[in-house]
Amino acid sequence: MKEWYQKIQSAGCMQELEELRIAILGKKGVLAEQFAKMKNIENEQKAEFAKRLNIAKSEFNKLFNEQKTILQTRELESLLKSQQIDVSLYSTTPNSGALHPVMQTMERIVEYFTSMNFSVEMGSMIEDDFHNFEALNLPKYHPARDMQDTFYFKDEMLLRTHTSPVQIRTMLHTKPPIRMISPGAVFRRDYDITHTPMFHQVEGLLVDKEGTVSFANLKFILEDFLKYMFGEVDVRFRPSFFPFTEPSTEVDISCVFCKGEGCRVCSHTGWLEVLGCGIVDENVFKAVDYKDVSGYAFGLGVERFAMLIHHIGDLRSLFEGDIRLLGQFV
Amino acid sequence: MIITRSWLSEYINLDDISNEQLCETLNSIGLEVGRVVEYDIPENIVFGYVKECKKHPNADKLNICQVDVADEVLQIVCGASNIRKGLHVAVALEGAVMPDGMSISAVKLRGVESHGMICSASELSLVDTNDGIIEFDQSIGNIVLGTRLRDNHYLQDTLIEIELTANRGDCLSIYGVARDLCVAFDRSIKSKSNKNTDETSIGIGKVLQLKHPASVDANLKFKVLDIKNISLAFLISLRLAQIEYKSLNTADAFAAYVTHECGVILRLYAYEYFKTKEQNDKAVVSLESDTNGFLCVQGKGRASVVGVMQEKDSLFNKNEGLAIAEASYVAPGLISNQMSKSKIEKSSSFYLSSRGSNPDLKMGLKLLFLLLQSYGDIDIFGGTAEVLNHKEEEVVVLKLSEIYDIIGAKIDKKKIVNILQKLYFNLEKSQGDTFIAAVPKFRHDISNKQDIVEEILRFTGIDNIRPKPYLLKEANRLSEGYFKFKKLKHYRHKAAYNGFFETIHFIFTHKQELARYNFDTVQSELDIINPIVTTMDTLRTTLLLDLLNFAGQNKKVGNQNMGLFEIGSVFTDKREEIVKAAFLYTGSLEQEGITSNTTSMMIDFGHFVQLISNVIGEVTLSKATCKHGLGHPYQCADILQNNRVIGSVFRLHPTVQDDFDLQDTYMCEIDFEALSYETVHVKAYSKYQSSFRDLSLLVPKTMEYATIKKTIQDSRPDEIIRFYPVDKYEDKSLKNLTSLTIRFVLQSDEKTLQDEEIVSCMDTITSSLKDKLGLELR
Repeated sequence: MKEWYQKIQSAGCMQELEELRIAILGKKGVLAEQFAKMKNIENEQKAEFAKRLNIAKSEFNKLFNEQKTILQTRELESLLKSQQIDVSLYSTTPNSGALHPVMQTMERIVEYFTSMNFSVEMGSMIEDDFHNFEALNLPKYHPARDMQDTFYFKDEMLLRTHTSPVQIRTMLHTKPPIRMISPGAVFRRDYDITHTPMFHQVEGLLVDKEGTVSFANLKFILEDFLKYMFGEVDVRFRPSFFPFTEPSTEVDISCVFCKGEGCRVCSHTGWLEVLGCGIVDENVFKAVDYKDVSGYAFGLGVERFAMLIHHIGDLRSLFEGDIRLLGQFV
Repeated sequence: MIITRSWLSEYINLDDISNEQLCETLNSIGLEVGRVVEYDIPENIVFGYVKECKKHPNADKLNICQVDVADEVLQIVCGASNIRKGLHVAVALEGAVMPDGMSISAVKLRGVESHGMICSASELSLVDTNDGIIEFDQSIGNIVLGTRLRDNHYLQDTLIEIELTANRGDCLSIYGVARDLCVAFDRSIKSKSNKNTDETSIGIGKVLQLKHPASVDANLKFKVLDIKNISLAFLISLRLAQIEYKSLNTADAFAAYVTHECGVILRLYAYEYFKTKEQNDKAVVSLESDTNGFLCVQGKGRASVVGVMQEKDSLFNKNEGLAIAEASYVAPGLISNQMSKSKIEKSSSFYLSSRGSNPDLKMGLKLLFLLLQSYGDIDIFGGTAEVLNHKEEEVVVLKLSEIYDIIGAKIDKKKIVNILQKLYFNLEKSQGDTFIAAVPKFRHDISNKQDIVEEILRFTGIDNIRPKPYLLKEANRLSEGYFKFKKLKHYRHKAAYNGFFETIHFIFTHKQELARYNFDTVQSELDIINPIVTTMDTLRTTLLLDLLNFAGQNKKVGNQNMGLFEIGSVFTDKREEIVKAAFLYTGSLEQEGITSNTTSMMIDFGHFVQLISNVIGEVTLSKATCKHGLGHPYQCADILQNNRVIGSVFRLHPTVQDDFDLQDTYMCEIDFEALSYETVHVKAYSKYQSSFRDLSLLVPKTMEYATIKKTIQDSRPDEIIRFYPVDKYEDKSLKNLTSLTIRFVLQSDEKTLQDEEIVSCMDTITSSLKDKLGLELR
């Protein structure tokens, strides 16, 4: 018997085990042979013999099952092993498309201002002189109106040079309080390393009763906005000039590249100019026939924000559809 | 506007102000610093005097000089063409290290010992005033031989370029900038013009007659001088070089110098130019308007256009003789308006006059004469010939509370008064908390309350204003624009997830290229007048060409498989703006890599339409031909949604594909407005199991699926909820026929369908296809 036990335990595969099972427990197997001997055995010995055989049978069964589990586990193990792959081959990059950095930046800007309860207003690209210039306190002889800067059509219409005409139109068709932004493409007749004939702006306007909107309010929202866009930066307001605001200021942030130490991008000043803003000039309100109101306005170039946020060096690369650039935004 | 620290110091005490502080202050008061150059002359460069100068025996171009540097006389060999005896020069002593790193030591030049070097301006990294070595004179102070150049503040100076905003004409002069800085640093401006200039007993009336119309829209003052001798001082050359002014002659240099210093437009005319025989050689200066309405000063011919330019012929061109000095002022609005109507030739003085030159003509003339007297010898005739167009003073009334409201903070009243007075506002008539401010004449930019508040804000410092949130009334601001933006965002994101890269192209395009591919163009009477380049001479009427060009560009740099899209504005032939969405896919669908086959699958019509559908939702296609020339004639379709044509999809024509050197390419353009952006409404759906049955039909090759689809649609029992083609098979044995397999999805709202019910439904379909179209099962 011992000999058989050892055979079971050393069975190498399921088939060998099955053959052993038949040889031992089958109809013509070793045990059956032994049971057959029983009829020749004396009665008093019979019980003892049967008992021993039954013990052996259950011992065999137990061994078979044990060995079966061992073999099954081993076989599964080897199956799994055969399915092994070199995972390092499968490092990969995404295969989807991507959104344009300028549009992504625009989305972030719009997201901020809508969460601050600004409405979004859109307008058309082709405008007339009144809405683009005159109503914005840009008299006919203003340098910004020079043919050099504006695209004109043969019928005296023009391509808007900023999204401010949307503000004029919104003021004309609604009543204060107004709290709006106008995102969109604008056009200037300039084409070099730092200028493209088309770029994107987001401009904002708040109008309420006289004496309610102050420069301090403008300072609050723009500081908060710039920190949302650029993280922890210092914000600096400098007096400046725009025909449609008075007082006017330009807003700088501490350079995001050198943290204000001075580098090539900030021309070693430690500051980057990012925004223009001010208190709406009373002549603008006169143009839309608003009385006893006060307001602030601001405007920014989306490309500039996108370039600073994503460290894009060349403005023109934003308009080349080059997937060496776009592919990085997947 | 370029200023230098030493020049500025003539009007404001800056002894205790560092350059850094100066720039910071300029920025904070709205005079943006664009560039700073700190001249730094090395050690061991001293003033010397050329006692002797003789030719080098062995070199034509070299001279041997004996140069006095106080402690000793050095022998220096010098190669400059302007070296001569009697010059005051810059001497680099032995041991000096020049800005370019060169060290000076004793050398032998062609056998002659040289102990040092006589320097030119560029060798010292200063601006060049002349060719060769620098020739100093007393204009930079008393020259003490042997003292260091770096101790002279005219040389060891700082140059600051200010980027002035268009409204600040009053700061287009050294004096103007100093005046603003005096407010910021709270100190008083130094005055030069209180010095006296003596005049002769001969009155101007004897030598000059001024003729002018009754009303002239400008102020002009004329004086006559007898110039005995003038010469250009080193300091004037140095500063004109620093401000990058190229003078026409000595007289022009003097006038330009004083104009830059004080902001008054000054001219020096040759007296001869106005002399007439009829008036006994007396000069007659007449003011006349030309045909464009510009005011001109006339002598023998046109001498100048007021505020715009001076004729070369009228310039005082000598170093002695009679000259007429003129100071002029014309209102900036007036002159710019005129120039915008009719463009005429202009010089740098137009920039100044159009932004607002200094109207204090008396001061301008006085400074000019003082300068001429210090570097020359002149006699000034008594009296002035002038026309003055007296302008009413601008007065602005504003209350203290209005200032608080606009700024959003309280500012000490005393401080406000101090700022305004320092800026030369006259507040004498003010009462209590109401300011009545008379605006100084040189501030053309100030006409209302907000302008004055800006002045207060500038000098209070914006940094000192505490940010304050604006309290708003709750209001629903989800405007139409917001939903437009959301819709745009929705589709853009879907396109990106489905493998398309977003691109942005200018709305400009080349008319010729549009025409070449047979696209509409904007009617020429509505087109752009002043395109920036010929390749962008019109508005685009399609997005397709831009995508195609982008794909071609990418191919050139080695990227041949990609999806691109743009959602943007295009224009109809009537120039109406409409928003379109366009898609392009070119090359292989799969990314090259371990998972793709070696021959990866090219994009095809079906896959492209699938991608488009992933972005814009369910689409139906119907056969069409492209109006433009980009499409493959047999692979082109209209895209329908809700039975409306919203765009088209096509394979790129093989010849165009070659034009752009692309692989298989498919494109699509859709009217973006037609895409829906609405809430999904869920339809009721059956709780019971659905069954699938396939029918394989033998279809003539000429028959469109659309026909079969319509027949099935028309005879479809309710239980068939959906059907779609799943396989198409052709071989020789089928001859003119194609085997088309259509899968049917059957489901009932009430129960699970039994086999016999399914069979009955399918029989309806088969018999209808047979009866109406003659189609057999395979």
